[in-house]
Amino acid sequence: MLSCKQLVARSSDYLDKQLTLGERLMVRQHLLFCSHCRRFLKQMRVAQATVRALPEEPVVDSQALAERLARELKDS
Amino acid sequence: MTGEQQTRLLERLLKGEQQAFKELVDTYQGAMRAVAYAIVGSRHADEAVQDAWLAVVRNLKGFEQRSSLKTWLLTITANAAKTRYKQNRREVLLDDLPGPHGTIGDERFATDGHWLQGPAAWHEDTPEALLSREQMRECLEHTLLSLSELQRSVLLLRERQGLELEQICNLLDISLSNVRVLLHRARLKVFATLEHFEETGQC
Ligand SMILES: [Zn+2]
Repeated sequence: MLSCKQLVARSSDYLDKQLTLGERLMVRQHLLFCSHCRRFLKQMRVAQATVRALPEEPVVDSQALAERLARELKDS
Repeated sequence: MTGEQQTRLLERLLKGEQQAFKELVDTYQGAMRAVAYAIVGSRHADEAVQDAWLAVVRNLKGFEQRSSLKTWLLTITANAAKTRYKQNRREVLLDDLPGPHGTIGDERFATDGHWLQGPAAWHEDTPEALLSREQMRECLEHTLLSLSELQRSVLLLRERQGLELEQICNLLDISLSNVRVLLHRARLKVFATLEHFEETGQC
C-alpha cells in the first residue's frame, strides 16, 4: 500500500491526471483510509485555486497597444 | 472563448477594429507574457511580447483556426521569444530555490512514510477568504517571486492560464517529466506558505 509520503509525492500528478490507472487506484484506496491525506489533497486544491485567483498584473496600456496594432494591420 | 466568439472576434480584427484589438490584448496578453517570461526571463519578456504582437498582426490573415486562437497566440509568442533571445535560454532547468516557508519535505513523515503530524485544518478554505487579507496576498506574491523564473512560469501557466501540461512542454521545449517536477515543487512551496500563514497568522 501507498504511504502518505508517497501519496504526497504523487499528489500533483494525481491532480493533473498524470497517473496510470493502477497508481490512481492506489491513491484512491489510500484516501479511503487516511483523513490526513484527504485533508492534504483538499488543501492542495485550495492552494491551486488561490494561485488562480491571485490578481494578474494588468496590461499597462492596452488601449495604446490596440491602437498601434490596428494601425499596423491597416498598413500591412 | 467559444469557437463562434472566436470567429466573430477574428472578423472584427481583420477589419482593423480597434476595440477588437483591445479585447484581444486584454484577454491574452497575460498568458503571452507568462510564456515569454518562461523563455527569456523577466528582463526581456516585454520585448518578446511586443515582437509577438507584431507577428500576430502580420499573420492574422493566414490564421486558419486549426488550433484555438489562444494556442496560436502562445505559439507565436514562444517562437518570438526563442528567436530573439536564443542565447539567453537558461540551461539549468530544474534549479530549485528554497521557498520562504520551505516545502512539504521528508521531515514531515515518519520512517514508515506516515505523516508525523497531519496537516492542520485551515481557518479559511476558499481562495476568496484567503486572499481577502492583504498580508496573505503579499505573502503569496513573495513566495511566487522566490521561485526560479521557470518554476514560477510553469505554475502560472498551469494554474492561472489553465494550459494543459502537454501545451506547456511544447511551448517551452521541456519534457513532460520536467514540467511535472517543476509544477510539483512549486505547488508544495505555495502550500507551505498558506499553511504557515494559517498557523501563525503572519508571513
Ligand atoms: Zn495518508
